[in-house]
Amino acid sequence: MSSTNNAPPSTAAASKRPKYSKFTQQELPACKPILTPRWVISAFMLISIIFVPIGVAALFASRDVIEIVDRYDSVCVPANETDKVKYIQTPGFKTCNRTLTVPKHMKPPIFVYYQLDNFYQNHRRYVKSRNDQQLRDSKEANSVSGCKPEDYNNNSAIVPCGLIAWSLFNDTYSFSRKNVPLNVSKKDISWKSDREHKFGKDVYPQNFQSGSLIGGAKLDSSIPLSEQEDLVVWMRTAALPTFRKLYGRIEVELQENDVIDVTLGNNYNTYSFNGKKKLVISTTSWLGGKNDFLGIAYLTVGGLCFFLAVMFTIIYLVKPRQLGDPSYLSWNRNPGWH
Amino acid sequence: MKRYAYINDDGPSQDLYRDNRISNTKYTVLNFLPKNLWEQFSRFMNQYFLLIACLQLWPLITPVNPASTWANEREVWVVENGIKKLIQAQDIRVGNIVWLRENDEVPCDLVLMGTSDAQGLCCVETSALDGETDLKTRVVPPVCMGMDPVLLQKIKGVIECPSPDRDIRRFDGNLRLFPPFIDNDVCPLTIKNTLLQSCYLRNTEWACGVAIYTGNETKLGMSRGVPEPKLTAVDAMIDKLTGAIFIFQVVVVMVLGVAGNVWKDTEARKQWYVKYPDEGPWYELLVIPLRFELLCSIMIPISIKVSLDLVKSLYAKFIDWDEKMIDRETVTPAHATNTAISEDLGQVEYILTDKTGTLTENKMIFRRCCISGVIYGNESGDALKDTELLSAIETGSPDVIRFLTIMAIGNTVIPVKSKNGAILYKAQSPDEDALVQAAAKLQMIFVDRSANILEIWFNGRTIHYKVLETLEFTSDRKRMSVVVKENDTEKIFLLTKGADEAILPCAYAGQQTRTFTEAVEQYSQLGLRTLCFAWRELMPDEYHEWSLVFKEANSTLVDREWRIAEACQRIEHDFEILGVSAIEDHLQDGVPETIETLRKAGINFWMLTGDKQNTAVQIALSCNFISPEPKGQLLMIDGKTEDEVCRSLERVLLTMRITTSEPKDVAFVIDGWALEIALKHYKKAFTDLAILSRTAICCRVTPSQKAQLVQILKSCDYRTLAIGDGGNDVRMIQQADIGVGISGREGLQAARAADYSIGKFRFLTRLILVHGRYSYNRTAFLSQYSFYKSLLLCFIQIFFSFVSGVSGTSLFNSVSLMAYNVFYTSIPVLVSVLDKDLSEETVMQHPQILFYCQAGRLLNPTTFAGWFGRSLFHAVVVFMISLNAYTYEKSEMEELSMVALSGCIWLQAFVVTMETNSFTILQHVAIWGNLVAFYALNFAFSAVPSSGMYTIMFRLCGQPSYWFTIFLTVAAGMGPIFALKYFRYTYRPSKLNVLQQAERMGGPILSLGTIESHPGTIEREVSPLSISQSKSRSPVYEPLLLDSPNTRRSFGAGGTFEFFQSQMRLSSLYSRNCKDN
Repeated sequence: MSSTNNAPPSTAAASKRPKYSKFTQQELPACKPILTPRWVISAFMLISIIFVPIGVAALFASRDVIEIVDRYDSVCVPANETDKVKYIQTPGFKTCNRTLTVPKHMKPPIFVYYQLDNFYQNHRRYVKSRNDQQLRDSKEANSVSGCKPEDYNNNSAIVPCGLIAWSLFNDTYSFSRKNVPLNVSKKDISWKSDREHKFGKDVYPQNFQSGSLIGGAKLDSSIPLSEQEDLVVWMRTAALPTFRKLYGRIEVELQENDVIDVTLGNNYNTYSFNGKKKLVISTTSWLGGKNDFLGIAYLTVGGLCFFLAVMFTIIYLVKPRQLGDPSYLSWNRNPGWH
Repeated sequence: MKRYAYINDDGPSQDLYRDNRISNTKYTVLNFLPKNLWEQFSRFMNQYFLLIACLQLWPLITPVNPASTWANEREVWVVENGIKKLIQAQDIRVGNIVWLRENDEVPCDLVLMGTSDAQGLCCVETSALDGETDLKTRVVPPVCMGMDPVLLQKIKGVIECPSPDRDIRRFDGNLRLFPPFIDNDVCPLTIKNTLLQSCYLRNTEWACGVAIYTGNETKLGMSRGVPEPKLTAVDAMIDKLTGAIFIFQVVVVMVLGVAGNVWKDTEARKQWYVKYPDEGPWYELLVIPLRFELLCSIMIPISIKVSLDLVKSLYAKFIDWDEKMIDRETVTPAHATNTAISEDLGQVEYILTDKTGTLTENKMIFRRCCISGVIYGNESGDALKDTELLSAIETGSPDVIRFLTIMAIGNTVIPVKSKNGAILYKAQSPDEDALVQAAAKLQMIFVDRSANILEIWFNGRTIHYKVLETLEFTSDRKRMSVVVKENDTEKIFLLTKGADEAILPCAYAGQQTRTFTEAVEQYSQLGLRTLCFAWRELMPDEYHEWSLVFKEANSTLVDREWRIAEACQRIEHDFEILGVSAIEDHLQDGVPETIETLRKAGINFWMLTGDKQNTAVQIALSCNFISPEPKGQLLMIDGKTEDEVCRSLERVLLTMRITTSEPKDVAFVIDGWALEIALKHYKKAFTDLAILSRTAICCRVTPSQKAQLVQILKSCDYRTLAIGDGGNDVRMIQQADIGVGISGREGLQAARAADYSIGKFRFLTRLILVHGRYSYNRTAFLSQYSFYKSLLLCFIQIFFSFVSGVSGTSLFNSVSLMAYNVFYTSIPVLVSVLDKDLSEETVMQHPQILFYCQAGRLLNPTTFAGWFGRSLFHAVVVFMISLNAYTYEKSEMEELSMVALSGCIWLQAFVVTMETNSFTILQHVAIWGNLVAFYALNFAFSAVPSSGMYTIMFRLCGQPSYWFTIFLTVAAGMGPIFALKYFRYTYRPSKLNVLQQAERMGGPILSLGTIESHPGTIEREVSPLSISQSKSRSPVYEPLLLDSPNTRRSFGAGGTFEFFQSQMRLSSLYSRNCKDN
């Protein structure tokens, strides 16, 4: 057996000896936790005690959010129109009227979203089809790399280039309550950082939507990109095929049972891929919009932890087991392993 | 092909052979690329990375190996056109005469032509060649003896030498000088006439020689060789798993590729905003699968190779640093030459050990002798103090004096006078050293060897002998002789010493050798090494006649060794046997304990020795190698003919099969001769036997047989460790999965060739149980964890592809993907090299736990499936939670990507925490510091306006929902795993867990100790010898065996070996069986 004393090194050939330190000898003081029942049960108990209240709070927050969702894509196509795609592709402004009833008192800020369904903003061809330099800098108007096939038109660069900008959502909404127009503020609906750093104040649309095939909305070429907030919002691509994007804000209170008339311009083609279009009017909470998921998940996890804690306690009480009992070592019982 | 080296010839013949340029061992400029690539890509993992690199079109950068040019540019004196010139060593051509001064390094293989010494001698240090530090003498061939240095520059002649080989102990050449120089017939050259590359000239003012082998064709260059790169079992397993993951990846890629193409053709055409062109080129179909291949390429982490290399070098460093493995006598620390195979140490199943110098100290001490029937030294245990012997010397008994004479001069020892007048002996074998030392103490002092004149002082008289011939020791002849002429009497004597079976049969007719046989028997039962001494007076005629034959044999080129042996045979007969000497070789400290501990750990021991059978068996008994009867049983395989060997092999095999069901310690003993036959004709039966037998003693085996035995065990898929100390173990060490060399007295040859070198045998326990075991555990965790973390990210990408139109969009941005493997996840796991599942003391107390490593319980497809499942589960958790928590207006690409990534990073931290057994401060810093670093790094990225992540992390960290999502991910991801681990740990504990619990609870470990020590105490009572021996350092080999002169016979006949009773050990005998269950 190797000796364990650390006698001072003999003077001869001391240089050959490695330097001593706790690290080199792998003797750093270490804490070796052990999974005792008490420890584990308390841990699970603690988690459940923390998680259940959070879950309740999150659920309440989500329930407090009032949300009006109105799907209008099929309703807004005249009933006699059999080919919806053809209908939407015919030029001209197609209006449509919808009435919404406010279920509960809504306090401002009230957000107006449009929701698209089955729309793959995260498609590989789509998500990369933009050029951030061009958007930021007026001198980079000719940087269109990555924008194919929406990079050039008539041999001049498109600003903003790429599929994302090209397919900009172009339905419009206007709201009125009891024939009094409801003002929808379209200021500050995009990220401040995007307006200030991603989209240039001196970059103006150029040659945009001038091709034979028109994708979505056109842009006013006299307004710099940083102020085209609908575009800025749209260019924040969504990670999921179902997504909402902010359209505007209503800054007044809506009372319960208020009837809101919506006049919408139904221009955006989701019909060719059976995508739904929805108009969403919603308040918000400290956790965001209406989403029960976090609350339910917290309650579930908390409940499961509680259940496990109880189960482990019962098992521990019914069948106590001494930890580290040497009789479990088979070589202490008999030669050979079992 | 023979080569002719024309001396001093500047003609075209010079260009026949290569110059003295030494190229790097492994590569030349030409073969570097193909050779290196071939080596690299023989590993699957590298092939895979090549594939990925090609896809990514990354330039493959290969490091250029710096050639070892320093040796080539050194300047040496060479004769060119009769003038001495200083040229670069690399320009030396075959046939050049090279001049060396004292302490010069020999630049190429030379045949010595002249030295400053009048006798034509020079001394060389060969430590760079064979590791032996003593000086060796080299002698000028007789024809060049005494030649004038000026003449030497003009000498012409031809040297006939064999084509280059690697044998550094043999050179069979011939020299013929051209007129006007002495024109004689050929003069034989041996290794004694050569100066080999990399030796140093010592104690000689100058020497010159003819270059015969240059560059990489020198003996050193040839023997340098390229040892096969060793691949550990763990590496092989990782390769296998990598292969499995690759297949999985291909399947995933194919499925996703097809799905992607289908989606593209059905759905994507309708998604007008994607603007798929209607008609694509033909290879369009491949684009999506290849895109997925790139997306999934992270499935096999490149970082695993880097991390493994890093931690492996740290394992090696831990071995180098280990204070507890420093040999305190010589202050030699352990050293890991091969940094890549530490894990294998933890998986060793067979240890093949040399005996002399490995188990024993190789410190030979002359203990007893038997001179013409009188046994000396039996009472006191030390013949040097035996008054009878001393008085016999006083009275001048002729036999005793002759015996002492052979002890003193029947060898190749060189006495060196030190400054203070004391005589030091430079001996090549420790046995000869012991004999000369003992002779000196018995008044027969060997004083000087100058040229071939030996000087001896005996009782105040000075006697001179002239050495006429030396018949050197070979392992075939097993004896060595010198022919000397006593200067005073002009009488010629043949003095011989050697193994009993090589000497006793050559006794003159009528001499009774029974007493010697008995003495040999008795000594070897005591574990002493015996040598028989014999002599004969030669008539001058007989000598002269014979010396011609001998000279002729010496100058043959073909089969020289055999011819010499034959010539020796012609004179070594009709001996008068003088006596037997017995030399003791101490067991090293702690050898029995080491063997016992490692046996408990389920490691099987084979002893391979060149020694006599009885000696080997005795040593085996005294170091716990085999147990005495009735616990142990010794089976003999012997026989001189094929039939006998076959029968005995079958009988042993049968016995072995029967006894496997009994708790009996069965070992077999085989000698070199029988082994040769068994390996040649009954390899299969012998292999079966090798599998069955936990213990074996192979005696009288040659180095190549040792290597063959290793090969057999390796072919049965056992992990073998070979340990030895001498040059004869080098082949075995290189052959074995792990070679361990003991830096001992027989030089450093073994230690140089080995993967690990240690100072003493007992450090093997620590090397295997501590370093090997930890290395295996750590690598097992690290490698599987590396796969886990990569798979986790990859699964998330795969899931994401289902919500992104199967188009191959990456959820994570390229910066995160790159940093994920390099920064975010590599540091916490790297500190797992400090993790210790059990403390060193616990492992030493319960070596059986090594079984987990041996059987590969911690890294195999099953455990890997667990990690695979875990990463799948975690991917589902992360993906589902972040997707559902970040829906609708929150589902922004960059944000969702960071939420998912942070979820992964948090899970990583907790997984490492849960799998860590002992937390040092470094682990805490690495795990939690890494988490902090992740946020710091991402905050930094988020602060750069041009990065895609601008402001993302600041936004996220300000949202309560982000933190709720992360905590939910951690709880949902770790909860079930934690619960499962707790349940298994408490209610289905593995032995490892039990020991962990016992160790950490503090209390029960003591009771464990008492349970364990109980049988231990019995053992001490019953067989006190094995324990006390090593501690008291008294003569080790007390008779364990009752005096039974006919043991040898009983071996052969009964196949059993009667030992007296001893206590059974508690070790598990049949760990091999358990490996199956």
